[in-house]
Amino acid sequence: MKRIGLMAACVWTGAALLAASAPTHAEKVLNVGMAAADLGSLDPHRTATTPDKAIIGWMFNGLVRFKPGTMNPESIEPDLAESWDATEDQLSWTFHLRKGVQCNNGYGELTSDDVVFSLKRASDSKISSFSSDFADVASIEATDPYTIQIKLKQRPPSLLGILTNYQGGNIVCKKAVEKLGDDFRAKAVGTGPFAFSEYTPNQSVVLVANKNYFRGAPKIDKIVYRYIPSDATRDLAYTSGEIDLIYGRQDQTWAERMKSDPHTIVDVFGPGELSNINLNITKKPLDDIRVRKAIAYAVNRAELVKFKGELTARAAVSIIPHDYLGTDEQAPLYPYDPDKAKALLAEAGFANGVTIESVQTSLPPMLNTMQIVQAELKKVGINLQLNVVDHPTFHAQIRKDLSPVVMYSAARLPVADVYLVQFFHSRSIVGTPTAVTNFSHCDMADKEIDAARLATDPAKQKELWKKAQEILIEQVCAVPLYEQLQVWARRDTLDYGYKLEASLTLGPIINEQSTLK
Amino acid sequence: MLTYVVKRLLVAVPTLLAVLTVVFFFVRIAPGDPAFIILGDQASPQALATLRHELGLDQPMIAQYVDFMTMVLSGDLGSSLVTHQSVWSEVAKVLPYTIELTIAALAIGTVLGLPLGVVAARRRNETIDYVARFLSLLGLSFPAFVSAILLLLAFAIELRWFPVISEARANDPMSRLSALVLPALNLGLIMVAYVMRVARSSMLGVLGEDYIRTARSKGVPAGMVIWRHALRNALIPVVTVVGLYLGVLIGNSVLTEIVFNRPGLGKLIVNSLNQRDYTTLEGLMVIYAFFIVVANLLTDLAYGLVDPRVKHQ
Repeated sequence: MKRIGLMAACVWTGAALLAASAPTHAEKVLNVGMAAADLGSLDPHRTATTPDKAIIGWMFNGLVRFKPGTMNPESIEPDLAESWDATEDQLSWTFHLRKGVQCNNGYGELTSDDVVFSLKRASDSKISSFSSDFADVASIEATDPYTIQIKLKQRPPSLLGILTNYQGGNIVCKKAVEKLGDDFRAKAVGTGPFAFSEYTPNQSVVLVANKNYFRGAPKIDKIVYRYIPSDATRDLAYTSGEIDLIYGRQDQTWAERMKSDPHTIVDVFGPGELSNINLNITKKPLDDIRVRKAIAYAVNRAELVKFKGELTARAAVSIIPHDYLGTDEQAPLYPYDPDKAKALLAEAGFANGVTIESVQTSLPPMLNTMQIVQAELKKVGINLQLNVVDHPTFHAQIRKDLSPVVMYSAARLPVADVYLVQFFHSRSIVGTPTAVTNFSHCDMADKEIDAARLATDPAKQKELWKKAQEILIEQVCAVPLYEQLQVWARRDTLDYGYKLEASLTLGPIINEQSTLK
Repeated sequence: MLTYVVKRLLVAVPTLLAVLTVVFFFVRIAPGDPAFIILGDQASPQALATLRHELGLDQPMIAQYVDFMTMVLSGDLGSSLVTHQSVWSEVAKVLPYTIELTIAALAIGTVLGLPLGVVAARRRNETIDYVARFLSLLGLSFPAFVSAILLLLAFAIELRWFPVISEARANDPMSRLSALVLPALNLGLIMVAYVMRVARSSMLGVLGEDYIRTARSKGVPAGMVIWRHALRNALIPVVTVVGLYLGVLIGNSVLTEIVFNRPGLGKLIVNSLNQRDYTTLEGLMVIYAFFIVVANLLTDLAYGLVDPRVKHQ
């Protein structure tokens, strides 16, 4: 780009000096544009937001990992651990670490001390946002510098799932955490293909390639992760060539517009964040199952998917997201049948209509979905009132059980148990000491969910999960709507090095296989 | 005059304390839990409770207020709930950017707006007057973020004179300057609209006065009439507008800061609000209130410069 006057002279001189001392190849710098105002936290045991999760995926490893580009628990492969074995009852696991893995930023070799420290930190509710994932872990010990033993109180649905390079399973380097203290948030240290280099508040985080990465030196030298909260500015920066990889909008029009550029590739991938309308079965009139069924019959899933755009959204298949271990892909969801809805309402004594109040977030993608649902419900005589509040207020109020109708959008570890427990098990009911996100107050599938956890036969486990979903759907604890997929776009000069179908970090994984032309 | 300034600043202190108190209670009454926002929706209730305790949020409000005021009166604005950095250091990082944008916008607004208003008044109802009034209408009607994007499209995409994302590096004055141009233009052009209108109508009013007629009939050249006699009298309402706008600029620059990806006070306020970062919000409100006080003081002092009848004891 043209700079004016003095600036041009400076740049020219600088370039000349650089050329004189140039390395043998030009530095490959990947510029990424993210929709966020600033860094939240690079600490993998604390990060809750999409912008932070994406960049963490490039900096850390777990004991095991999902094969890059997938999130299928059946494709979990070795990462920091070369191999592992478990006892018959699966309550004691031994992991054998790779030797010679180096912590970034000069913190030395990764040993079992680091792994034990990291896992204990991830399970500590005082530090970690994900401590509840480790509830079934009894002890974690280093039996020698390269061996770790994990003992369990009872079998979690997927121990390997918890130990992947996702959330609490990301391994941090002990000496770095101890040395950096509070600064770890902005300068986190792991073992991944890219290491922290520089952070400019409100502007960018710079990562440099880890030349000693145990899978091989990355071919991209530097990543500049730019914080550009304005959608329009981000799009303009992509158009002008200042960024090569852009966080997209989960929006059909945007995807179509980007696709029309011959040098742009739009990546639409999982996880699909499932939007469920949770109904509180203890509040009138929702305590009457006929009213809940009426709501289920009145909602037109296909219309919603069309509104959201078929490029970036797909209809829900069950009360938990599609393609998780245990999802019933052919779950018996209530079809669209407004006449049946009206009949059920009349039966329940609401032939002249019924009013239901709810708290709704002002976040546009969630709000406009609920406005359509509101219109669909109006057609059958249900008057859904939306009290719109800002997003943090919404989250605070729904957890205080102030809304009988809660539209919630989420993805979790792709094992049925996690979603079922967090949203539909009685111990997760909001307002209780062990609350998570059970807004429906449902408890009818507790037995099946608990039994599935203890099941040792994978086929039996899937069957129990299937039954649980059937029960919860029949009882209309929630009305599933659609799943919103992740949308990013890149210039065709960037090749990830693998096929991107899904990524739990909600962003593409940039690793040693990725190239930039 | 020095005693006047000092007296004004001292009187401001109770105002600032009052602002602090009001803001303190209002932000805490608003629903939304900072611990939840920091830890995310998968955090266990224990983790949330622990963090709330660490941040002192589980104390009764009055106790929190007393703790906070004690801290502030000893000169400490506290630390951000989110980053644990001292509020003052966070503000100090972005303040230079806001100040330079405000001053640049102000400069563009007055340097372009004043002459335009004067010319429009002199050549009332001629073409230039209509053009100026039309442009002023555009400037007043365009939301700042729309004009910002249009500027980017024109200068960054079409003409390629500037990059879309200007990284203003703290120790590189050239990059600071080049990153300042488009945002300052955006806010400045809107300000031109205001200043032009006020200057024009004020000038028209003054030009109808008796002493102007006297000066003209004395044979004073037209230029001198405007510069020596009319302008200084016409300036007073303009000074008022500029003074008022100064306060507005600091807060309203947030949309410009977002579109141009510039750090700034406005953006910091909005982000802290979204994150329910109570301490940063309180600190920011106090600093912002202090700026309004200073802006008003400067406006009053400016009156003294423009109108010799105003005396500051």
